[in-house]
Amino acid sequence: MILARRTGLYLVLVALVALFVSPFGWLVITAFKDSSEMAAYPVHWLPEKWQFGNFSRALTFFNYLGYARNSLIIASVYSVLITLSSAWAGFGFARLAARGKRLVFGVLLSTMMMPAMITLIPTYIIFAKLGMIDTYWPWVLWGLAGAPYLIFLFRQFFANMPRELEEAAIVDGCGYGRIFWRIFLPQSWPVLATSMLLSFTWVWGDYIAPSLLLSTDHTTLAVAVATQYVNESNQTPINNLMAAGSVLYILPVLLLFFILQRGFVTGVSTSGLK
Amino acid sequence: MSRRRFLTTSTGIAAAATAGGLLSGCAGSVSSGGSGGKTTLTIMASGTELGTPAEIKAAEKALGMKLKMVKYDLTRLTAMLTSGNAPDLVRAEGSDAPYLASHSVAQDLDDRFAKSTVLKVGDLDPVNDIWRWDGKQQGSGPRYGMAKDWSQSYMLWYNTALFDKADEPYPSDTQPLTYDKLLDVGKRLTQSGKKSKVYGLGMAGNFETFMILTTEAGGQLFNEDYSAVDFTTSEARSALSWYLELAKSGAAPTIANPDPNGWDWPTFDAGRMAISTSGYWFGGMVVTDKKIAATARLAPAPQFGSKRISTGYTGTGLWMPKAGKNKDAAWEAMEYFLGGAPAKKRAESGAGLPALKSLRSLLPKSEGFQKQAYAVQEKELSYFEVLPFTPYVRKDAVDAVINQVMPAAIKGSVPVSKLADQLNEGINKQLANGKKLIK
Repeated sequence: MILARRTGLYLVLVALVALFVSPFGWLVITAFKDSSEMAAYPVHWLPEKWQFGNFSRALTFFNYLGYARNSLIIASVYSVLITLSSAWAGFGFARLAARGKRLVFGVLLSTMMMPAMITLIPTYIIFAKLGMIDTYWPWVLWGLAGAPYLIFLFRQFFANMPRELEEAAIVDGCGYGRIFWRIFLPQSWPVLATSMLLSFTWVWGDYIAPSLLLSTDHTTLAVAVATQYVNESNQTPINNLMAAGSVLYILPVLLLFFILQRGFVTGVSTSGLK
Repeated sequence: MSRRRFLTTSTGIAAAATAGGLLSGCAGSVSSGGSGGKTTLTIMASGTELGTPAEIKAAEKALGMKLKMVKYDLTRLTAMLTSGNAPDLVRAEGSDAPYLASHSVAQDLDDRFAKSTVLKVGDLDPVNDIWRWDGKQQGSGPRYGMAKDWSQSYMLWYNTALFDKADEPYPSDTQPLTYDKLLDVGKRLTQSGKKSKVYGLGMAGNFETFMILTTEAGGQLFNEDYSAVDFTTSEARSALSWYLELAKSGAAPTIANPDPNGWDWPTFDAGRMAISTSGYWFGGMVVTDKKIAATARLAPAPQFGSKRISTGYTGTGLWMPKAGKNKDAAWEAMEYFLGGAPAKKRAESGAGLPALKSLRSLLPKSEGFQKQAYAVQEKELSYFEVLPFTPYVRKDAVDAVINQVMPAAIKGSVPVSKLADQLNEGINKQLANGKKLIK
């Protein structure tokens, strides 16, 4: 009875995994297809002739590595800055008493409900007035500003840390800056990993901000992969190369996830968010 | 550190990081070279339509200026214009010309055309009239842009192998099929086997389709001042009925039953579409596959009523924003891209008809299908006519209404008369709103 129940459960789980993995699987299969096979009907579930060369063509069709470098720079800078600034703000909300703290925190959280699209054109105008169009400064500023979700994540984690830890540090002569840097931050690596992973992924996968703020020459890999695999003559998409480029594009994020996954799971569970 | 100090330090770090620069702030360029004090032009284009990165570098060298290429995006264009940061040149479809001119965002280029030795008025193909707007109607008046290349969009590319298989005679090279005949042929060429589906015909059911059919039938969709449409006239309803019969027959992919490829070429190339409604530009795709090149042929645009029209609605090209800051340099770049080496290269590729008459001789004729297509195209040119579009909305907005109401009609739950009413209601609402925005 137990065996049957467990088998049934696993079958359901396998079916769900297959369902969720199928778009990615189809992307990978498409990356190995010849262009004529993509329109074949009945559908060729697997390529008749595996086109491994699609990957090298995808890498050389445009300056793939140059755009990857651009993505890596802004995603890394942004994720480091936003993790630190969010941790800093989260620590303040969790451990310090200040008048109006709850209200400010409430306002902060409420901004999470505002769709990013609403602020798109005003954001462009602000950065244009500041002369920051076609530079990476917007990502630096966004990084320094902190993200409400990450601040919330850190606040929840820091709020759960014992008060005695803070009091013992104060008795030993620590100020709040050292308490944050030397005691709280080193103990929060699961949340740090979660924050790094999430924020890196936000920027790595973002299409709208770079396409709005950067020129074709300076843009990110997300924009380049989506727009530059086109036939030169009539600008129509070359889907198999786009699929190959996309597979290569998601590898760094997958790699980062595998490295940080333990911290990610712990971070989400220990911060009270599930 | 005290609580107050902690908060002060937080602010300080943020300010210091901003001012001191944790990052150079200079975006990493994927191509080398800086502006070196030269004029920098910002050009908004799609993909590599004006050239590959190497060709853009060559253009910079030829023009002696730095070209900053920005991906075309309507939101970004709006933001750039709003922030006083207008690009110097922008791509657009010619159907947008009335909208751009009447909203006073596009620069009148008549003086520049009059003085140009590269883009001479006498050398401009009639398609460039799409970019003219006299304040009331498209097709005459000052020029607000110029086409990059173009095609007569409703011509027919067909696959002789599929015609042979169905024992169907080929369309004439000179005489257009009637739309009724085209529908019959399309149905006969459609194969719906268990394992495969071959579409007889590929044809979009968009505003352009209904505008052409209605005009050929002797009617018109727009009223005199282009502030309203009327789909309830007998001509417009017959156009809608024709399309619904095609869509319901399953002979063509439709908005209700789309081709997963999203456009005709992959399906045509795979031998799964007998006729594609595509202009001369399609030949630029055909030449990439020898197998299909051996069986592909071009035929004149079909005719719906007594009047033969073969329009080219798109006429994609460049326009110059009024708010641009480098107009002389922008015009030089316009001359280069639309009349210089890139224009010649585009003409030689056969991926569209050149917008200058003098470049037409460069169209490719080395392959058998190219010779046939060139001959058919030459005869088709005399039937070109600009079908004026409204200045109050963009074509995309009108097509969005059609895409919203058409699926129910294709599935049979909405009769033609009700469909016409729905189209009138949706599109006229947009036109009324758009009219209010013009000062």
